[in-house]
Parts: sequence; C-alpha cells; structure tokens
Amino acid sequence: MARVILEELSKVFPGTKEQGSKVAVDRVSLEIASGEFVVLVGSSGCGKTTVLRMIAGLEEISSGVIRIGGRRVNDLPPKDRDIAMVFQNYALYPHMTVSRNMSFGLEMRGFPKEEIRRRVEGAAQTLGLLQPDNLLPRKPKALSGGQRQRVALGRALVREPQVFLFDEPLSNLDARMRVEMRAEISRLHHQLGSTMIYVTHDQTEAMTMADRIVVMSEGRVQQIGTPEDLYYQPANRFVAGFIGSPTMNFFHGVLLKTQGALAFAETCPAGKTPVWTLRLNPELAARLADRTGQPIVLGIRPEHLTPDSPKPSSLEIEVDLVEPMGAETFLYGHTARHKCACRVTAYETKELEGKKIHLSPDYERLLFFDPDNGHEVSGTKIPRIKLPLPVPHRKPPGL
Amino acid sequence: MKKTSFLHLWVCRILLAGLGLLFSLPFFWMISTSLKPLRETMKMPPVWLPIPPQWQNYPEAMAAMGPFWLYAANSLSLAVLNVLGTVLSSAVVAYGFSRLEWRGRDGLFFVLLMTMMIPFPVVMVPLYGLFRELGWIGTMKPLWAPAFFAGAFNVFLLRQFFLGLPRDLTDAARIDGCSEFRIFWQIILPLARPALLTVALFQFMATWNDFLGPLIFLAREEQYTLALGLQALQSTISGTPWHHLMAASTLVVLPAILLFFFTQKTFLRGIATTGLK
Amino acid sequence: MEPGVGSVIRPAHRSTLQGLLFVAPWIAGFLVFNLYPFCASVWFSLCDYSVLSQPVYLGSKNFQDLLHDPVFWQALKNTLLFAAVSIPLGTAVSIGLAILLNQPAGAQGLFRTLFFLPCLVPAISLAILWQWMLNGQMGLVNMALRPWFDGLNSLFDCSLRPPDWLNDPSWALWGLILTGLWGTGQAMVIYLAGLQEIPEELYEAASLDGTSAWQRFLHVTLPMLSPVIFFNVLMGLIGALQTFAVPYILTGGGDGPGRSLLFLATYIYQNAFDFWNMGYASALALVLFLMITVLTLAAVRFGEKKVHYQGR
Repeated sequence: MARVILEELSKVFPGTKEQGSKVAVDRVSLEIASGEFVVLVGSSGCGKTTVLRMIAGLEEISSGVIRIGGRRVNDLPPKDRDIAMVFQNYALYPHMTVSRNMSFGLEMRGFPKEEIRRRVEGAAQTLGLLQPDNLLPRKPKALSGGQRQRVALGRALVREPQVFLFDEPLSNLDARMRVEMRAEISRLHHQLGSTMIYVTHDQTEAMTMADRIVVMSEGRVQQIGTPEDLYYQPANRFVAGFIGSPTMNFFHGVLLKTQGALAFAETCPAGKTPVWTLRLNPELAARLADRTGQPIVLGIRPEHLTPDSPKPSSLEIEVDLVEPMGAETFLYGHTARHKCACRVTAYETKELEGKKIHLSPDYERLLFFDPDNGHEVSGTKIPRIKLPLPVPHRKPPGL
Repeated sequence: MKKTSFLHLWVCRILLAGLGLLFSLPFFWMISTSLKPLRETMKMPPVWLPIPPQWQNYPEAMAAMGPFWLYAANSLSLAVLNVLGTVLSSAVVAYGFSRLEWRGRDGLFFVLLMTMMIPFPVVMVPLYGLFRELGWIGTMKPLWAPAFFAGAFNVFLLRQFFLGLPRDLTDAARIDGCSEFRIFWQIILPLARPALLTVALFQFMATWNDFLGPLIFLAREEQYTLALGLQALQSTISGTPWHHLMAASTLVVLPAILLFFFTQKTFLRGIATTGLK
Repeated sequence: MEPGVGSVIRPAHRSTLQGLLFVAPWIAGFLVFNLYPFCASVWFSLCDYSVLSQPVYLGSKNFQDLLHDPVFWQALKNTLLFAAVSIPLGTAVSIGLAILLNQPAGAQGLFRTLFFLPCLVPAISLAILWQWMLNGQMGLVNMALRPWFDGLNSLFDCSLRPPDWLNDPSWALWGLILTGLWGTGQAMVIYLAGLQEIPEELYEAASLDGTSAWQRFLHVTLPMLSPVIFFNVLMGLIGALQTFAVPYILTGGGDGPGRSLLFLATYIYQNAFDFWNMGYASALALVLFLMITVLTLAAVRFGEKKVHYQGR
C-alpha cells in the first residue's frame, strides 16, 4: 500500500475542427493516505475517469504531478507504476480461461510458476471463484456479469499492487449484483488494507464504501470529505444537491428584516405575499446579517421537513405525488414557485395527492447558498446525530 | 489513449506514404503509358509525364477494339439486368430464409451454403450443354437469366441483414393482417435499402469484371462485353502497341472506379460486413 | 392467426408452403444451375463426351488418364504452390496494412481508398497492365529492380539480372503472385473493420499487465481477429484454387513458359472448350471440387480449435 498524491493535476484535450480545446481536469490536488478508500464521484463528463486514467498512466498528463508511494510517476508507463485496475467492462481476455486471465500479468512479469499458482488460487479462494463451482477453467463468455467482475477483481488482486484503481466497475451489473459486489469490495478493502481509488457516478456507492469522497464537477474538485462531512456540511450547492436521495430541496428567496429578526422569504410572483417566510434563530441570523436584503438560496433535505399543523414559519405545499415505500413515504409537491420533496417515516396513502399540507423545517439543519457562486455561506455546524444511518464513520487512517 | 510518440507517428506516416505510392504506381504508369506516342513507351529511362499528352490514343484504341460502344452497351445492359435480377430474387429468397419459420428451412439453408463450395469449372461444362439445348448460345441469356434465381452469396448477405431487423415490426404487421408478401414489400425492403444497395454494387462490379462467363457463353462478336472485346484486342494484335492497350485498359477500368467514388461509404461498409458477418 | 383462404391447411403446412414459395426462385435455380450440372458433371466425368455428340460410357478411364497425365500434375502443382504462397503472404500484407492504417496518423480515408482501388480493376485490365509492368526489358518492376542488381553486380563482381518474369519458367508464377499482392486491399478493408471492433480496454488491460507492443499483437489483436482471419483465409483459398482469368489472359489462353502458368481451372477450360474433351474436363473439375472440399473441411476443423469466437 502507498500514499497517492496529486498536485495541481490538469488535463486539456486539444481542440478539433468541430470544437475548441476542452479542459477535462482543472488543477486537481488530492492527498490519499496509505490504505485509504477514496471515491471520486460526479456526473458524466466531470473528469473523474480522466483523473483515474492519469493515475493509471493510460492518459497523458497535461500538467501537474502524480506521486505514488513518494515516487513521481508522470513519465512511467502503466506497467511500472505498481498499480492494478478494474475496468468498467471488465476487459477480460475473451480467448483465455479465467485462470489465465488472472495469471497473465504475472506471466508477463516473469514470476515463477509456483508463485503464480499460489497467488491465483489465493485470489480465487478469496473471491469465491472456486466454490460452489470451479470457474478457473472457464472462459469469460461462460460467466455471468457478477462472476466476470470477480475475475476482473481477481486479476487485480494477484498483482498485489500498491494501489487499486476502479473505473465504475459496477455500472454494468443489475441492482442486486451491485449491492452484493459493493459489500464484496468493501470486505476486500478491510481484509487487505490497500489503498483503493474508486470512480463512480453513483452517490450510493460513494457514501457506502468510501473513507473519503472527492466530489467533482466540470473538471474541478467541489469538495473532499468523509461521507458524513459531505452529507452534513456540503461546501456548495452542487455537493449538497449531489449527495442524498431524494435530492435536497432548494428555495430561492431573499433575506428580510421583519419584526426585529432576520427571515428568509421565498420569492414569489410580483405583488403577491410570499408563501413561506421563515424566521431564523439568532445565531444563524447573526452569521447571515451582512446579507440582509440580498437574494439567497435555502437548502433543506427532504428528511428534515415534517408535516405539521399550520404555523407561522411553516411551508404550505400541494401534494402532487405520494410514493409509499413501506417504512417511509416520499411526498412530492410544489409551492407557487418551487418543487419540494419531503420524507415521512410512516406509511402514507395516495389519498394525500392533490391535498395541501404544511411542512415544518428542522431549524438546526438549514443551509444557505450564495445564488451566484453556490458556496455555502451560513457556516452552520449541523449537529451530527447517530441515527441508524448506513453511513460508516471512520477516520482516514495514517493521515 | 496510448501516448503516440512523435517518432511512432512519423514512422507510420512515412510508411503509409511510401506504400500508398507503391500501390498507386501501377495506375500512374497505366495512364502515363496510355498518353504516350508508341516510341516513347519503350524509352529508357522511363518518361513519367508525357508532353504533350497523346489524347488521340484513346479514340485510336477504341477503334482498334472494334465496335467499342456496342461492347460497352453490352457490358452495361448485362450489368443492369444482373443487378435487377439479383436484388429482386435474393431479397425474396433471403426473406424466406430469415423472417419466416417453417419446417426444413434450416436444412435447405445448409444446402444453400454448401453450393457456395461448388467451383464454377464443375458446372460450366454441363451448363454449356444445357444452354446449347435451349438454344441460348448465341444470345446473352446465359449471362443474365441465372441472376433471377438468387445466388447463394447474396442470399446469405441479405439474410444476415434481415435477421438483424427487429421482430416486433413484422409481428405488429402480422397482427394488423398484412400478408407476408406485403410485409416483405412494404416493410422489410424499405428498411433494407443500405444492404440492397450493397448487393447491387457488388453485383455490378462482379458482372462488369466477369471474364470467364462471357468467354464461354458468348459466341457472336456483336454480343461481346468490354472485357471480352479488350481481350480479343490483346490476343490478336501483333507488335504490342502498349499505348493503345493501356488506353483501352483505362477505359474499361474507369466506370468501376467512378461508381466506387460515388458510393464509397456504402461500398466499403458492405465489404467490411461481409467479412465480419 | 390469420383467417381466410386455406384455413383447411394446417398452420404448420401453411407456413411451410409459404416459406417454400418465397424460396422458390432459389430452389428452381438450385435444381437447374447447381444440382443438375453437378450430377451431369459426375456423369460426364465417366464418359467420353464432346458436346457435339452423345456421351459414351468409359468407366473410370478419365480418372486413370488423369493420374498419369503429367500436364495435370503440373497444373495441380502450380495451383497449389500459388495458393500456398499467396494466401499467407497476402494475409500478412493485408493485416499489416490494416494495422498501419489503424494508427492515428491521419488521412485514413485517403489511404484506405488508395489501397483498395486496385481491387476494382477488372481481370482483363489487370492482366494487360501487369503484362506491361512485368515486361523483362521495359516493365516498371524491372526498371525499379535494375539499380539494385547493378549495385550488387559491382559489389560482388557478378552479372545478375532481374528475371524476365513472364518468359522465365522459374519466375512466371512469382510474377503472378506479385500481381496478386496488389489486390490485398479488399481483405485489408475487412481487417481494418475487425481491428476497430477490438475494445480499447483490452489493450489497456494488457499494457497494465506488462506487455510489449508485440505481445499485445500476439495476445489481443490476433485472437480477437481470428474469426475474420479464418473467414478471409477460407475465401482466399477457395478463390485461389479456382484462379483462371489473369493467367489465361497473360498467356493468351496457353500455358505460359514451361507450363509454369497453367492452372487447374485453365486446364479444365482448355480440355472443355479448346480440345472439346469434355468428359476429361469434367473429371478434372471433380478433382478440383474434391480438393476444395477436403481443404475446406480441414481448415474448418483446424479453425474450430484455434479460432476464438466472441459469444454474443
């Protein structure tokens, strides 16, 4: 295992006749501790895969430095970087058996037969490729998607590299297989304690597997933090909206001074009274005081809105859609200007559709974002309550 | 992408340029020779750009070949007839082998595949006898009539294509009450345009270039195709007037090349598909 | 299903009828242009037959004559030698060209067309052109070779000359093979398409596995191309064994110097339409057919083991 350090890493794709040059990765800096599981997450085209490929050596670096284990690897070919990669489409050699697929890299490096055999069998054992059926003599086309992905994992395992790289390995699997493989990869990480860099567009994978998450958008790092950090303390609107499902609710509005206190007033059609005026508590008001009279964006997660009796600061919505999920229900509705989602831990029926209800927010979990640059400006330290959330709280080791 | 080093890039470019030149040389030489006066064709070292170009070589060559335009018309009409017959019959037969389910279908298709292995020399003698019985030797019928009976290769090609069209379309049509032939004519055929075009192109080229067929089955000079007419020229004249021969050769090649340039994409894609199946 | 006419016929029968109807043109063609001629050929091969008179049964005499016919053996040797050399050579060249063309060096469309163009040239023009190109004194090939020979001569003090291709029995066939190389563009187009289907990921995984470029060619490119190679080689083999037009035209219908350009197909033609010895020609044709069948089956058997198909 090794530390991986990215310093001001950038990638610019040269222009073609049709389009100008594109900055795919814009000065990304990141320090990954030895043995850490870091997930690069973001929507397509955000540059996460390009970063991974630059670490692997499959993509040329435009500027910046990559160090693996303290060694500068910019000019090293992929095979000399002591890394192993698990590809999205598995990239298994179709004409070779599972066993040969796994041993091929070691063969090319001249490992002795006995060592190769030991490693392949070890990896096969760990990944369940020997029980219940011995998959080693089979060819990839005789395997299911999940099995192929395990073989791809195995191929990386036998190399015993300093760093494991994963390029959206679960995208091609069905939902059930994905859950299984997520657990498998996490288990592997616990067992080996290796440094792992994982790229995905799925925030669930990020939240459940990562020690730390790097959220990227348009080639730039939006925020780096533990899953908890990102959930409770998003640095900007993009991160706030990316993490959490259903997405955080955003309300455009303005901060007004009313009756001696600061309040958030939702924007509404001219001439009408705002549907929602939310009085802020004093510490929050103090931190936002210099933004009085200015437009602002309020963010609040669906799980932090509760149906309630009408109150002065409550929000009235008309329910469009009720999605009963069993133990919880999602209510989707709208105000005059905004769409809104609310999570209720109970079973609600479709009868609510079309009706108007009132929602009360959790005052301790309000976030405010600058409407222009999206930064979170309230500086609220949201208390982290240890609810039975499936978010492991781990301190990154060795940092 | 892998890093392509500067050296790698330029070595490839030089190789490509060199090989490209090598492959084009015969063409240049052919045209160059065709525009020289006879004595210059034998000059050493060789002259590449004849000045002035002897354009009259072309009409002279055409005259030497005999009824040039008649031959050209023959070649053309044969090609058109063959294309027509092939496209129509192959499409119908391919439809039967791909979009319909019936007992014996796959067995018969296997037989079709096997026929592709029968070399022409095996059938040419009996065919000659057959055509003679029918009184067709002395006409051009032997060279286009068989096209209307669906050649194995084209059926194979079209069948592959038809198999790739979604089942739902024909199922919906069947539910709508269309007869099979209607489905074939109004739904499958329009969708198959690129494949049909490919078949048409291949057949045109094959017919235009066909040598053995006309050699065997054409008896009367006025029915000769261009290929045959050119060969007659080559084998009868003495003193090998290369300038005329090259001019005539160029003329015979020209239509094929022109057709290719107009249909490049379809043509090349079609060739790739035949190989990849 | 569909109501109406013919509902008396059971559905299975109706669909068979329908299928046969569509396939009828081919069935007719098969019977007239494939089955009949094939059977007739077998019959003729056992006879003394010239179209002008009725066939006279000879038993296996034609085949016995064949075995003792030195011209036949010569033709067979020429045909097999030609196939044995031009196919591997042509395959290597077209794959090489395809790989070269697949590099990001630019102008791929132009060069692809350039390499493919020679395949459009009709046999007659091809033969005439190469007759000129391979001319001993004034042909382009020898003109290009002469400086090298002159250099060698002055270096080693000997008097070598480039061969008089089409008049030299030892070299004529090689001249023909050279001509064939000009037409590798068609196979190249197919290989190029095949190359472009190979997922880039495989190469990336291979480079991560520590392979050199040559190893990647061996372990990724070749296996992934193997079905295409198999198909091309098979088609090439069947075509090469039936070579007729170019040597026929080059030699003016004859055998070439020292019979070195006599191919099996040419010999069959000569017997059939020059000597009107159609019984013998049919026997020869059947031998050709058997040869093609045997070699094809052998190739398929070999291919089964070595060729890797992608299950889709």
